Amino acid sequence: MKAAWKKPSAGWLVAGALPTALFLAFIGVPLAALLVRGLGADGFWDALGGHRVLDALRLSFVTSAIAAGVMVLVGTPLAYALARRRFPGRTVVDAMIELPIVLPPIVGGLAMLMAFGRTSIIGGWLDGIGLHLPFTMIAVVMAEIFVAAPFYIRSAKLGFEAVDPGLEEMAQTLGATPQRSFFLVTLPLAWRALVGGLVLAWARAISEFGATLMFAGNLPGRTQTMPLAILSALESDLGAALALAVVMLAVSLGVLLAARWFASRGDRSAA
Amino acid sequence: MTSGWIRHTLGAFSLDMRWAAAPGEIVTLFGPSGAGKSTTLRAIAGLVRPREGRIEVGGVTVFDSESGAVTPPHRRRVGYMPQDYALFPHMTVRGNIGFPLRGGAFPLRGMPQSAVASRVDELLEALHIAELAGRYPRQISRGQQQRVALARALAPRPAVLLLDEPFSALDLELRRALRLELKAVRDRERLPIILVTHDLDDALALSDRVLAVDRGRVVAEGLPLAVLERPSVARLSRLVEVENVFQATVLRADRAQGVLACDLGGATLEIPYAPLEAGAAVRIGVRAGDVMLATELPHGLSAGNVLPARVVSLAPRGFEVLAQVDCGAPFTAQLTPRAVQRLGIAPGAQVWVVVKSNSCFVIE
Repeated sequence: MKAAWKKPSAGWLVAGALPTALFLAFIGVPLAALLVRGLGADGFWDALGGHRVLDALRLSFVTSAIAAGVMVLVGTPLAYALARRRFPGRTVVDAMIELPIVLPPIVGGLAMLMAFGRTSIIGGWLDGIGLHLPFTMIAVVMAEIFVAAPFYIRSAKLGFEAVDPGLEEMAQTLGATPQRSFFLVTLPLAWRALVGGLVLAWARAISEFGATLMFAGNLPGRTQTMPLAILSALESDLGAALALAVVMLAVSLGVLLAARWFASRGDRSAA
Repeated sequence: MTSGWIRHTLGAFSLDMRWAAAPGEIVTLFGPSGAGKSTTLRAIAGLVRPREGRIEVGGVTVFDSESGAVTPPHRRRVGYMPQDYALFPHMTVRGNIGFPLRGGAFPLRGMPQSAVASRVDELLEALHIAELAGRYPRQISRGQQQRVALARALAPRPAVLLLDEPFSALDLELRRALRLELKAVRDRERLPIILVTHDLDDALALSDRVLAVDRGRVVAEGLPLAVLERPSVARLSRLVEVENVFQATVLRADRAQGVLACDLGGATLEIPYAPLEAGAAVRIGVRAGDVMLATELPHGLSAGNVLPARVVSLAPRGFEVLAQVDCGAPFTAQLTPRAVQRLGIAPGAQVWVVVKSNSCFVIE
C-alpha cells in the first residue's frame, strides 16, 4: 500500500528532502549549463553538422554496435554456461569476467597494448601476417568490449540463473531439442535481463575513453570516438566540443529512457 | 508398455530398481521421500543417466548401459509431469498444451496449425479446462494447473505417462476429482502410467499395482491392498499409517496354541506365533482401524485381546474419529462418528479395547 501524502516534519525535510534536492541540483545544474552554453555557443550548429562531429558520431555508433554484436554472440553462451554448468575453475572465470568492471579502463588499454602491441609476442606474430591491431578501428572495438562486456555477461548470467532448469528439462521431455528449449523457453524468460544488460553494456561502450585512448589512439576518422573527439575539440573549438557533448547527453538520455520503458513494460506472464 | 531396471548411485545413496507397466495400467511407486522414486521417473524420462541398466519405452530401448545406447529426453516418447508441474510461465494454457506438438520426436510433431489447434481443443475439453485456454499459468489455481500439465503431457500421445506426486499440495476434494480424472485418462488413452506417491490414499485409490520402495529398493510388489495392508518393513509401516507401534518384550511363546504373549509395559498383548524366545525384544504394529472399543466387557469373542481401558481423547481425522485410549499402554482406535455416537463415549469413559491377535503383526 502506498503511504498517503502527509505534511513532512521538519526532521524529514532536513534528513530526506534537502539531500535529494541538493543532489538533483548537483547533477542537473552542470547538465543545464552544458545545454545553455552549447546551444548559445558560436559555431555550435555548424559544428553539429560538421564532419568532425559526424565522423566521431558514426565511428562511435559503428564500433559500439559491432562490440554489442560480439558481446551477444560470445557473451550469451558464456553467461549461460556460467549460470548452468559446474566446471573446474568456474569461480576463477567468474571473477576474471568481472575484473574489468573495477579495473581503471586506462589500465585495461595499457594491458591490451602490452599484449597486442608491435613489440609483444602476439603483436609481433600478428605483424608477421600483416595485421596491425593497435590504433585501428578493430582496437576501438576491442577496447569497448574489454570494458563493457562484463556488464552484459553479468546481467545475462543472473537472467539465466533465474530461469528454473526444471522448465528446460520439461521442454526436452516434451520433445524439444536442447536448442529449441533454449530459444523457446530459456531465452524468452531471461529476455529482460539480457536486453537490460545489453543496454548498459552498450552505454558503457559508447562512453569508453581510457582504454580506447591507450590502445587505439585518437586518430580523427579512424579511432576518434565521441569522447575522444570532445577532448580534442576542447583544445581548439569549444563550440564543437559542446556540440559533441550535447549529442552524447541526448544519446545517454535516450538509452536511459529506452531501458526504463523496456523495464516498465513488464513481461506478459506477470500480468 | 514400459519396463526396465536401473542401478544408480547418488553420494552414499544407492538405487536398485526394476519395473514394468502395461498399457492401461497404473503402477504406483510408493514409499517415503528420498526412497529413489523420483529419480527412477527421471531416469525413464532421460533426465538422469543411471550408472547401469536398461530402459524400454513403448517397445524402444532408450537406455542400455551394456551397448552404451542413450536416447536423449526429447526423443523418448515420455509424458512426464514433475511435482511442480513446470508449466511455462510465458505461455498461455493453450500455448503450453500445444508446445509438444510443435517439435520433437513425438508422432504428432510438426502437425499443421489447424491440427495442433484441434488436438489442443480436444484436450482442453477432455480435462474441463476449455475456459482457461487464454490464461497464463499464474492466473489459474493449482488444481487447474495440474489439469493443464496433464493435458500437456498427453498432447503428443506419449508411450508412457510419468507422474511425480501429482496430487501433493491439493486439498482432499480436489484430489478426489483429479483421481477420477486420471482413471478416465487411463481408460481413454490406454497408456501405461507410472505414478510416484508417498500418500497411502493415493496409492490405494489409483493403483492397479504397487511397488513399495524403500531406500532405493523395491521391498514389496503386488495388488495395492496386499502390499499396503501388511507392511513388514518398519519404515514403510510408519508410512502406511500404522498408528500403533509398540516396543514390546516376549513373555511366553506358545507354539501349540499359535500365539505369543507380549508385554507392552503395562498391558499384555497376544499376537500370532513367531519363532521368538521369551525375553526377546519385538516391535508390534496394529492399525487403528483394526482396534475395536466396547463399553461393556464382551463375551464369546474370538478376539484374543480384551483389555480394560480409559478414553483419553477423541479427535477427528478426515471423515473418521481417532480415539486415544489408555489400557496401561496407549492405543489408538479409528471409529466412525456414528460409532462414537452409538457408544456414547467421551474422554474419561471406561471402555474395553478389543484386538484380534491376527490384527497384530511383528514389524521386521
